[in-house]
Amino acid sequence: MRTSTPSFGSLIKNPLATIIILLSISLVLLFLPPKLSGRIKATCVAPVRPLQWATCFCSNSVSNFFDRVISSWQDARVRNRLEEQTTQLKNKIVEQQDAIYKLQNKLTNLSKFQTENKNIKTNPIPADIIGYDTSNFRKSITINVGSKHGVKPNDFIVSNNALVGRTTKVSEGSSVVQLITDPASRVPGRVLQTREQVIVEGNASAFCSLKYVPRWAKLKKGDEIVSSDIGGVYPPSLPIATIVENEVQGGSLFQSVKALPKVNISKIESVLVITN
Amino acid sequence: MRWLTFFCILLCVSLFQSTLMNWINLGLAVPDLYFPLILFYSFLSDFKQNTIANWFTGMAKDLFSEGGFGINSILFVAVGFFIWSVRGILYRGHLITQVLSAFIFSIIYNILYVAHISLSFHSLNFSTTLWVIFICSFYTAVLAPLMFWIFSKFQPTQMLFSIRDK
Repeated sequence: MRTSTPSFGSLIKNPLATIIILLSISLVLLFLPPKLSGRIKATCVAPVRPLQWATCFCSNSVSNFFDRVISSWQDARVRNRLEEQTTQLKNKIVEQQDAIYKLQNKLTNLSKFQTENKNIKTNPIPADIIGYDTSNFRKSITINVGSKHGVKPNDFIVSNNALVGRTTKVSEGSSVVQLITDPASRVPGRVLQTREQVIVEGNASAFCSLKYVPRWAKLKKGDEIVSSDIGGVYPPSLPIATIVENEVQGGSLFQSVKALPKVNISKIESVLVITN
Repeated sequence: MRWLTFFCILLCVSLFQSTLMNWINLGLAVPDLYFPLILFYSFLSDFKQNTIANWFTGMAKDLFSEGGFGINSILFVAVGFFIWSVRGILYRGHLITQVLSAFIFSIIYNILYVAHISLSFHSLNFSTTLWVIFICSFYTAVLAPLMFWIFSKFQPTQMLFSIRDK
């Protein structure tokens, strides 16, 4: 009696075989080393990055345009005069103003960082945010600079001289930045006023929590958290967050502390990458 | 099922979800636009097509998200299979069914996803996470009928409203 092994074509027609093959691929990808899976992700998503950049650019331009239109409505006299004189050139002016504003913002950030951090021998790279994380429980952004601009994994990201996060995946023209609010983020820090050493941990909300704050530490609302150079990833004295709430629960060894990050990521368009 | 249309829809959803969410999110409430897509194809297509569509949707979400590569594809296939298996008892064309299904299954998916994150990082606050799951699922459910209407413009939906399944 002859028995024949099923061909791949007939196997793929079987729904159960299809689901087993797809789930096997997912499981293999899930258990790959993070470096390798990160590389696969970066390669797969690279063709979509220009589209993402274009969408983000259009969205920012439209947003800025609406902001200016709304602000011009608020000032009726200025609006009337502008409407009479520059109706035809209005869009062009808005576009140019937007470009100037963005460049000025970048220049101010860059010069402010360089004057305030003369002791850090690094080269800041200005970058635009081109994408956000698609998951509700992970916090990351995508920026438009990558390895060809000199960015490497674990470079840290600042905005307005405050810490935003660190690069985790770097491809040729873009990088993924893990924000300090991501559940996987741990940043060594220090309370500015009391010098207590803490770990700033993300919890997928707009706030961070501080780990390992002893119950006897005298913290109060408004205390500042700055980075510490323990671990060697982050430079010292970079502002991270402000304490908004602290509580000592029952017999626990550590305080429960909630901190608000210095940078509201939804309100910035560009960041600085500080190469390590 | 038109696969080219499916991939175009998936690309648009991915671009919107990864770039334009600041326009429509309300504080912590961020809708998951991939989820109505899962629901739509689980209602519309047969088992095999549904599995493949859900797997690709999960992969797309994984590509644009930090974290394990493949976790969303596994969860979407599982949730999609569950929706597909109970679709016979649902009146799928009705707006209320779409909203309630999106809300319930989105909560199930989010709980599974959060369980996976909690196992890895132990850093999520229980009450905040529950609140985020609720409001995100609610917002997703509210947007589901609109997303269904958009998807049905591009995909044939004659099966969607039929009472008897093949």
